[in-house]
Parts: sequence; structure tokens; C-alpha cells
Amino acid sequence: MQYLVDQIVSGIAVGAIYGLIAMGLALIYKSTGLANFAQGEMAMLIAYIAWTLAGLMPGHPWLVVGGALVASVVLGLAIERLIMRPMLGEPVFATVMVTIALAVILRAGAMLIWDPYPHALDIGIGRGVVMLGATGLREAQLAAILTLMAALAGFWAFFRYSRIGKAMRAVAADSRAAQLMGISAARIHAIAWTASAVIAGLAGIFFALLYDVSPNLYHVGLKSFPATILGGLDSVLGSGFGGVLIGVAENLAGGYLASSIKEIAGFIVIIAVLMIRPFGLFGERDIERV
Amino acid sequence: MNAGTLEIRNLQVIYGGAIEAVRDVSLKVEPKQIVALLGANGAGKSTLLKALSGVLDDEEGTIESGAITFDGHDLAGLKPVDIVHRGIVQVPEGRRLFPSLTVDENLDMGGFAATPAQLTERRTVVFELFPRLAERRKQIAGYLSGGEQQMVAIGRALMGGPRVLALDEPSLGLAPIVIDLIYDIVRRLNRDLGVTVLLVEQNAQRALGLASYGYIIERGRIVLDGPSARLVGNADVREFYLGVTGADRKSLREVKHYKRRKRWLS
Repeated sequence: MQYLVDQIVSGIAVGAIYGLIAMGLALIYKSTGLANFAQGEMAMLIAYIAWTLAGLMPGHPWLVVGGALVASVVLGLAIERLIMRPMLGEPVFATVMVTIALAVILRAGAMLIWDPYPHALDIGIGRGVVMLGATGLREAQLAAILTLMAALAGFWAFFRYSRIGKAMRAVAADSRAAQLMGISAARIHAIAWTASAVIAGLAGIFFALLYDVSPNLYHVGLKSFPATILGGLDSVLGSGFGGVLIGVAENLAGGYLASSIKEIAGFIVIIAVLMIRPFGLFGERDIERV
Repeated sequence: MNAGTLEIRNLQVIYGGAIEAVRDVSLKVEPKQIVALLGANGAGKSTLLKALSGVLDDEEGTIESGAITFDGHDLAGLKPVDIVHRGIVQVPEGRRLFPSLTVDENLDMGGFAATPAQLTERRTVVFELFPRLAERRKQIAGYLSGGEQQMVAIGRALMGGPRVLALDEPSLGLAPIVIDLIYDIVRRLNRDLGVTVLLVEQNAQRALGLASYGYIIERGRIVLDGPSARLVGNADVREFYLGVTGADRKSLREVKHYKRRKRWLS
């Protein structure tokens, strides 16, 4: 029984990381209509930046995290302004290909700037063990879960109450009409990319604290695709939950079946779910009036 | 020139560098006037409104020559956001609500640039004009009836505090009784709130009943313009736009004659 609880809890923790990245994916999809294939690479790049900062400022964990988050804001703005905005109005397929190119460039760039070997990200915090009843959790795992919960609550309030959040939903629903109302789609896109880079960066840091920093960190991006498809590509909150479900399913499959099943468990779950709900668990159906 | 005059001079719009959608169109909307722009499908009405709101580039349209001025300032080349800020707001064809947002949220988006105080004030005005929207303010806009959606679309545009309201086929797909209601609202907006209206319609009868001046556009060109009363009296307009055939039915040869003449004129 304890084994089951342990598996579920650590599944939730890794799922929280998938969930954060998946929320970023959904945020970009919702406001720009694009699947960003470089989401995992953005997480990887920020993790590397955090690792470099940790080397420069040993003993200042919060400065490291703060600096990495500033870097992710810059990264999000730069990608939107320099790469995505010139592609505005081009076919979606071409733009998605650009995100794939960006992914490859970021991956190769990380290997060029740093090196292809795994490094431990040690900022002095996040390694301690917290006991929840009989289940032990590392601080970084707990922090990932809490961050996901905060992000879920924050985005819920943002979309419901804030002016920019409502405008983001309006741009998603009909960007031409939004323009006619005086909403600048470009500004909304910039905000979406920035927010998405920040939560991807947080996820990358948590992942690096729990495992290590290496170019393979982008694999978490691959895992978050099923999460966002499961939750609904246009549902930011659903994607967060989707990540948790994928994480738990993966861990249970790995713990009870075989570790080789673990990698594909998430994808099996989405095939099963999409057969029943093609728009994802929390995705919006198109409103059609007859 | 009066403050608040909207003027389009010799406008030419080309799509994709090849297809001419609007040619040499000139029209003028005086402050507090209701002007109708009439024409069939594909005549160039919506293109004209897109040029006015600065959203041609989505379909690779460009203003090749001519000018659009408001208050004497050139609008061509301005971003859609800036045009809205100058007080020209469009109610797009087919309403184009944000279907997944509630009525209240749709109204908020119309007043995206407004201050909270202005929003409250304008919302009161909108709910006075459309009491039905006040009852449905928490509902998802996509599930409203067509007439209610048109009310939201007009209300949303009013939240932007327009000086000129450009309505693109507000009667499209609505029941006659609902059209009456919408037209009545437009009349009140103009009379009580002093909003200038550019009314783009296929429904000539309705539009000329409301507007004081009208333009008729065919294949991208203005073929006729004048005060509504004179247009309504024009024999060609009566036959081809109002569907009134005189006592004696015309033969097909005469129709062909009219069409030939039109081609020469344009």
C-alpha cells in the first residue's frame, strides 16, 4: 500500500513539471493558434542558464532562480518579437515548422555553449526531504506541486478577472474581431510567449534540481505534449491537470508493469482518452448554433 | 471641413497585388449623419470597411491610391488600434462576437482601451438601449439568438465610445421584426447620442428608409449617389434594388439595355 502511495505521490510531482510545460503550450496555442515544439527546449535553456548562474553565485539560491526567471522573460519576448511576429499571417504549418527549427537550434546551441554531459544543478536548496505522513518527498518535488497549484489558481483568476486575460480569450476566439475592438493581437501574443517561457523555465529548474541539467532535458517537452492533448490543447488549466494524470499513469506503469512501459504509458493514456473525447478532457467544443 | 467628417477620396484597393476590389471610390459622411452604402454581394462594400478599419492586410489587400481622412487626418496606414482610438468603430459583418465569452466580457472587450469609469458609464447606456442584454449579461454569447447577438455586437462597439459607427450588414440573417428593432436602435443612437453612422447594407429598402444620403456600389465603383429620397425615386434603383416593377412589366431587352449602360458608365 505504501508502495502505491509513493508511486502516486512521485507521479504527481513529475506530473506537475509536465503540467507546467503543458500549460505553457496551451497558453501559446490558445492565444496564437500554434503548437510550439520548442517548449521543452525553452525549459532546457533556462535550466542551463540557472546552472551557469549557480556556478557564478554559489550560496545565493534565490538570486539564481530570480536571474533564471528574468532570462526566461527575455527569452519569451525575444522569440515572439524576432521569430514569431515576422511569421504573423503566414500559414500555420510554416510557423509550426519554425518552432521545430527553433527547437533544433536551441538544442544544438546548448551543446555548443555548454557541453553534452549531464550536470547536477546544486543551488543549496531543494534537496532536503520532507515527510508527508509516511511518504518522503524532496523539497523540489513539493515545490513543483505547489507551483503547479499556484499556476492553476493564478491562470484561472487571470482569464476570468483580468483585462488582459479576457483579451487573450477574445483573441483566441476571433483575432480579427479583437483587432476591430482595438486589441493589439501582437501585444497579446508577446504576453503569452513571455508567460509561457516563465512557467517552462520554472519547470526546467525543478526538473534540473530533481535529476540533472543535460541537453536531454528537452524530453520533458515531449512528455508534456500528451499532457496538453489530454487536457485539451486550448485549455490552460486542463493541460496542468493533464500533466499530473500523465505523470501518475507513467509512474504506476513503471512501478507495477515494467520500466520499459513507463515511457509510452502517457501516450497510451491519450489514445484511450481521445477516442472518447477528441477535444481533450477539458477542451472547448466549438460553439455551433443551428 | 467640419470636425468629425469622414471622407474617402478616390480609394483604390487591390488584393494580392492583382485583384482590384475597389476602384476610385469617393464618399463623405458628415457628422451626425446616417449614410447608407448599398450594393450586392462582392460589390466591394466590406472591402471598403476593412480599408476604413485598417484590417486589409489579413487578406493581403493594400490601399493602392486615394485617401481616407477623418477630422482631416489621414487614416490610411494607421494600425486598427489607433483607428479605434480616433473614434471609428466597426460592427463587422456576421457580428463576429467572441462566442466563448459572456455578454459582459464581450462588452468589456469593446471598451478595451476605456477607463473603468467610462466602462461603467457606457455599459449603463448599452443596457438602457438593450434591456434584454442586461438580463443575459452572464450568458455565453455564442448561445444567444441571432438578434441578441447583433445587439451584443452593436453594444460592444458602443463600449469603444465611437464617433463614427460603421455597421456592416446589421440585418443579415435576422427576422424582419428583429431588423425593425435593430434599425430603431441605430436611429436612436444617431438622434439621442449623436453618433455618426455609416450603414452598409444589401437591404436597400430598409437602409434608405433610415439614411439621409446613399451611395450605390457595383463591382468596386460608386455608380450612383444622392439623398435617399432621390435614390428611392430613381427608376433603376427602384427596379434593381427595391424590387419595384412599374405597372407595365419590362421586357428582357430593356434589362439588357440597362446592364449595358451600366457597364459603359463604369
